[in-house]
Amino acid sequence: MHCVINYTIPGMSLTPVLELHNLGKTYANRQVLSGLSHSFAAGEYVAIMGDSGVGKSTLLNLIAGLDSPDSGEIRIEGEHLSAEDEAATRLRRKYLGFIFQAFHVLPQLTLLQNVSLPLLLNQLPLDRAPAMLAAVGLQGREQDFPHQLSGGELQRVAVARALVHRPRLILADEPTGNLDQDTAREILHLIRDEIKANGASAIIVTHSRAAAETADKILIMDRHSLTPASSENRT
Amino acid sequence: MRYFWILLGWLILQGSLFSAPPQFAPVLPGKILDFPQDAGAHPDYRIEWWYVTGWLETPAGKPLGFQITFFRVATQADQDNPSHFAPKQLIVAHAALSDPAIGKLQHDQKVVREGFDLAYARTGDTDVRLDDWFLVREADGRYHTQIEAEDFTLAFSLTPSQPLMLQGENGFSRKGPRMEQASYYYSEPHLQVNGTISRQGKTMPVTGSAWLDREWSSEYLDPDAAGWDWISSSLDDGSALMAFQIRGKDGGTIWAHAVLRDASGQIRTFAPDQVSFHPERTWHSTRTQADYPVATRIRTGETEWQITPLMDDQELDSRRSSGAVYWEGAVTLTRDGKPAGRGYMELTGYVKPLSM
Amino acid sequence: MTPPLLTRWLLLGEWRSHRLQSVVAVLAITLGVALGFTIHLINTAAVSEFSAATRSLSGKSDLTVRATRYTFDELLYPRLARYAGVAQASPILEITAGVPAKAKTMHNPVFKILGMDGFRAITMTPDLLGVPAEGKPMDTLADDAIFLSPAAMEWLSVKQGDTIEVSTGAKRVQLRVAGGLARAHPGQRIGVMDIGAAQWRFDQPGQLSRIELKLQPGIDPAAFRAALGEALGPSYLLTESEDDDARIHTMSRAYRINLNILALVALFTGAFLIFSGQVLSTIRRRSQLALLRVLGMSRRQILRQLLLESALLGVLGSLLGLGLGYLLAAAALHFLGADLGAGFFPGVAPRLHLDPLAAVLYFLLGTGITILGGLVPAWEAARTHPAPALKSGSEYTMLTALRVPRLAAVCLLMGLVFTALPPVNDLPIFGYLAIVLLLIGSIAALPYLCGLFFAMLSRLSNPDQTGALVTLATTRLSNASGLAAIALGGVLVSFSLMVAMAIMVASFRISLDDWLGQVLPADVYLHSTIHQDIRGFTLEEQQAMASRNGVARVDFIRSVPVTLDLAKPAITLLARPVALDNPGLILPLTGAALPSGDIPPGTIPIWISEAMVDLYGFRTGDRITLPFADSTQIFIVVGIWRDYGRIFGAMQMQLSDYRRLTGDDHASDAALWLHPGTAFDTVATALKALPFGETLEIMETGRVRAAALRQFDRSFAVTYLLELVAIGVGLMGVAASFSAQTLTRIREFGMLRHIGLSKRQIYRMLTLEGSLLGGFGILAGFLLGTGISLILVFIVNPQSFHWTMQLHLPWTWLGVMALAVLAAAALTAFLASRRAVSGDVIRAVREDW
Repeated sequence: MHCVINYTIPGMSLTPVLELHNLGKTYANRQVLSGLSHSFAAGEYVAIMGDSGVGKSTLLNLIAGLDSPDSGEIRIEGEHLSAEDEAATRLRRKYLGFIFQAFHVLPQLTLLQNVSLPLLLNQLPLDRAPAMLAAVGLQGREQDFPHQLSGGELQRVAVARALVHRPRLILADEPTGNLDQDTAREILHLIRDEIKANGASAIIVTHSRAAAETADKILIMDRHSLTPASSENRT
Repeated sequence: MRYFWILLGWLILQGSLFSAPPQFAPVLPGKILDFPQDAGAHPDYRIEWWYVTGWLETPAGKPLGFQITFFRVATQADQDNPSHFAPKQLIVAHAALSDPAIGKLQHDQKVVREGFDLAYARTGDTDVRLDDWFLVREADGRYHTQIEAEDFTLAFSLTPSQPLMLQGENGFSRKGPRMEQASYYYSEPHLQVNGTISRQGKTMPVTGSAWLDREWSSEYLDPDAAGWDWISSSLDDGSALMAFQIRGKDGGTIWAHAVLRDASGQIRTFAPDQVSFHPERTWHSTRTQADYPVATRIRTGETEWQITPLMDDQELDSRRSSGAVYWEGAVTLTRDGKPAGRGYMELTGYVKPLSM
Repeated sequence: MTPPLLTRWLLLGEWRSHRLQSVVAVLAITLGVALGFTIHLINTAAVSEFSAATRSLSGKSDLTVRATRYTFDELLYPRLARYAGVAQASPILEITAGVPAKAKTMHNPVFKILGMDGFRAITMTPDLLGVPAEGKPMDTLADDAIFLSPAAMEWLSVKQGDTIEVSTGAKRVQLRVAGGLARAHPGQRIGVMDIGAAQWRFDQPGQLSRIELKLQPGIDPAAFRAALGEALGPSYLLTESEDDDARIHTMSRAYRINLNILALVALFTGAFLIFSGQVLSTIRRRSQLALLRVLGMSRRQILRQLLLESALLGVLGSLLGLGLGYLLAAAALHFLGADLGAGFFPGVAPRLHLDPLAAVLYFLLGTGITILGGLVPAWEAARTHPAPALKSGSEYTMLTALRVPRLAAVCLLMGLVFTALPPVNDLPIFGYLAIVLLLIGSIAALPYLCGLFFAMLSRLSNPDQTGALVTLATTRLSNASGLAAIALGGVLVSFSLMVAMAIMVASFRISLDDWLGQVLPADVYLHSTIHQDIRGFTLEEQQAMASRNGVARVDFIRSVPVTLDLAKPAITLLARPVALDNPGLILPLTGAALPSGDIPPGTIPIWISEAMVDLYGFRTGDRITLPFADSTQIFIVVGIWRDYGRIFGAMQMQLSDYRRLTGDDHASDAALWLHPGTAFDTVATALKALPFGETLEIMETGRVRAAALRQFDRSFAVTYLLELVAIGVGLMGVAASFSAQTLTRIREFGMLRHIGLSKRQIYRMLTLEGSLLGGFGILAGFLLGTGISLILVFIVNPQSFHWTMQLHLPWTWLGVMALAVLAAAALTAFLASRRAVSGDVIRAVREDW
């Protein structure tokens, strides 16, 4: 349903939001990725699954620019993203939003300040932050500190922070890995709703079938490729 | 007279504070002055001076007044002090030049303790020195003096043309109504001056006529004295005039005296009631706010002398060293209305009564 | 640029969450800067005041003529007054008188009196002329009058019209305070009287101390000085005021520089504290910094943020340090005096001048050192890949960046090489550098040594016997030795410095005590109110003393200052009977003396102090001439002795030789041997009964020794103070790094709690860790400190003070200090662990933060 709506938007399908060309990465003599290529269409919400150690997090780190590939290249909206320069940092700041398993909320900043970080770094007006906090269900708690929050609430903050500057692509690494089942479901729905509401694309890496199924499309990952999951796998 | 009283006032105030004050010789009438012995110093007396004043003429015919003074002052320092620095005798010297072209006195002064042959007043004959300033008398009676002051240098020889002149009673000169208020005093008028003056690197020969006063005493001025007026003149006709009055604090005259010696050596002295001073015109010093009677009429007996200054500002401000301020300058005299000659006048005690 | 708002948020957030660490860091910088600034202020105040005061004594003179001896014949005065080119000569007799009224409360109460010819002085030193009371002008020439500077009036508690009593040798002189001085230098204690009176009253007939010369306009001072120097010969010295300044600087230089070095050590310790604080702080915030990178902060922004943090701490600490330094300096000047009790600047009362340049310098030093301390960790934090940094447990990899084995080796090696280098410009520059290098090298080597030590320990300890806690503690210390080393650095630096100072001071004190025993062989010593009195005791007075009942033998000693070199402070010439066959009886000789048979006839034997060897290059066997004697008189150096009393050099000769050479038969001191069985009190009473007995300071040898040791302790008072501050800063560092580390390890504790350790066990484990670490730090600090003390004892002291000493280790004191530091380390670890283990330990695991 959602896919159909997205593909009907003219032009969106012409430029992929993210292209991976022939990526290779080796850690300490262990080849994690090799010759991996894939294109992610704009507006897609994709889940990546795969066995432990297959390189899901590595792939995500490479896309996020937190690490650089040994070979191949990554393009976001056609722009080449090399991990280590200032221009890449600027691009990442603008195009990407991150959600981590371990939340990674700065403990010494208030919730509002945490959510405002991407706005500040992208020189965007700060008034979006309270609205975003409200959107994730934390209205009235702007001045609280992270240690006053539960895990689910912390991940809501992280979701708000990932989306507040309206990035084109959200990267989420096991966003519900530290949460109980009910909270996890809640957060997954929140992520999906907010991504769609903001018109962003998303890649979510997860072990959880339930989590993956909230996505538009599931890709199964091995060392060389990303393959769409078969329909019986999907259902 | 002169500066002497100022020094006495300055130097000899609390002798009792010295551990063993020396006794000074008294001034008594009847002493016969003996030369050249008495031209030399008399260290047993409290104070004495060699006081030369005179008029000079430059090659351009311009008149100048000058004054060269050496004092010897015995302090009340303990005679037992074996130190060569013990300040038993002080030598004070003073030099001034009156030039109407400058309009005020140029002067310089020095005070040091006697000793180490750097400063001395020798006995036997006139031989006084203060560093490089000196006044010395040759066997033939001629004096040589050299003064290197800050603004000028004087180098003169002074040649006597007349016998010396004993003041008072054969050199015993009273300064007040009491007999002990006296000094030994003689003068040498009509000294022929030959020499040079150097100013601002230029040296010029000068000639002129000077008057030397020699006086020594151990006594103080009368406690009621406010100051004095004094004049000396080597007159054009070869005579010599000296007159003074001591003014009281009450405005009256405590003592007065005058002497006139004519060219033939005939001396006439005038008693206190025969001498009077009549100020004609005063000059106001903006430096010290004093008013000096710079133009004065003096009566000696039936004679009337009119005194006119070479220039008005001949005030000598020595507040920096001795603390005294007085007027000492070249003057011209008329005798009963006719020009009579040139001399020097001293006016003291016009700023404030001299503290005793 | 980072948005300013974000910068502020991050700074405030850091401050909110880590107040203690920030306060400790600021405090460390504050103390370091304050100490340095205090010492600088005091030194400059004292030196500038002393040289200004000295210069005011010469006024506007162009040239000062002195003799190598204290006084000279006054006949030089008329000669110079008449000398071609001289405009004015002002003769001056300087009397160093004693103030008997002060002798009870003060050691060596000297008072300087200038005898001047006011008529001559007026052109050159008009400020020093006496101002008599109204109507008493002759007081300036009076032989019973003295004019006092305001500071002297205050010191003596007198006013115009009062009488003061001063002493010169066995003579006392009453003087009437006739007035003040025209314009005395503020704080300078000085009296002025007529020169004739001074010569007479102080028994110096025919003597002058100096002649001030004013040259005629147009005379070239340098050429004149050279020509006059030639004409006067070597027994006279010509100086300009700059020479005096230079001499004053030389005089106190060694002392001042040593103090400055100590202050720098405090600053260095502070900087190390900042460094370890920043390292720990970046380790703790590693994942946060990585997140900021992920969110889009660039490396440069991160680096700038961290450096800004250090800079803020540095600025704050430095500003506080400047303020505190000023207050400390004011207090020290008020309570201890300009020389901090060491006695270099008598007779001046310096006031503090706030020197803006120095303030800026110390501010920059404090801030710069802080930023430098934060630079390495900040650089490392900015350089890391954010992805691994986001993972927990990656802290330890960072510490590999701090492993600098080459640096450690190079520093240690260079330090060793530097110990062999000679002094630079009479200062032990290389000695100090060697100390700094050893410190840096040791700190750099610490992670290795620490790992080695604890690995060995954990191998040696048997888990079955020692229990899990010990195993855990030793294992962690050996595996995470980098982290442990950071906490250890503070202990190492402070404890090693403490050990070094303790050993140095103890060595010095014991050597001094031994030395005193050697140089004080007699039973009783006596002198007049002050030392080196120029008049001292006349021959008659000496005979009167020698003939008292109970006195078996008297050695009279003449002690006079002699200037051998214009650029150097005067040496002390000591003339006394010396047994040629066995000079060691009274002189603590340091080497073999020339046998008496080797002294050629006609030459005069002298024994020189060690300082003379360093400063003047004299050696045993040298044949020399001395400027105060005839130039044909040859002296021979027959021995070298150790002298802790006079750092500018001293020379001993036979009293008979001295008297023959100078004609001066006065004595300054006397050493008395009593008949067996005669009580000290009996002899003291008999001496006091002499006509001049009141003027005698009579002391039993034991009391002389005690007084000397008291003086020693007094002059080291500041050293003790600085030492305590260094320890304080070091312990603060231990506390800060321990608590920071335990906070970093909250997750680890959470895990340990999960696997079943009780809170109490975690406390014990941490306290054990702290004690083990502290113990290792103490051990390393002891070794390093002993090394530094060797440098201090055998290099720094001989090079800056020109004396040697024997090494003595104060074991008890060292043991006490070691235990104190160990206890402090254990206590800090315990306190820090309580905080860490108290709260959200379980949660910490879940958060993985």
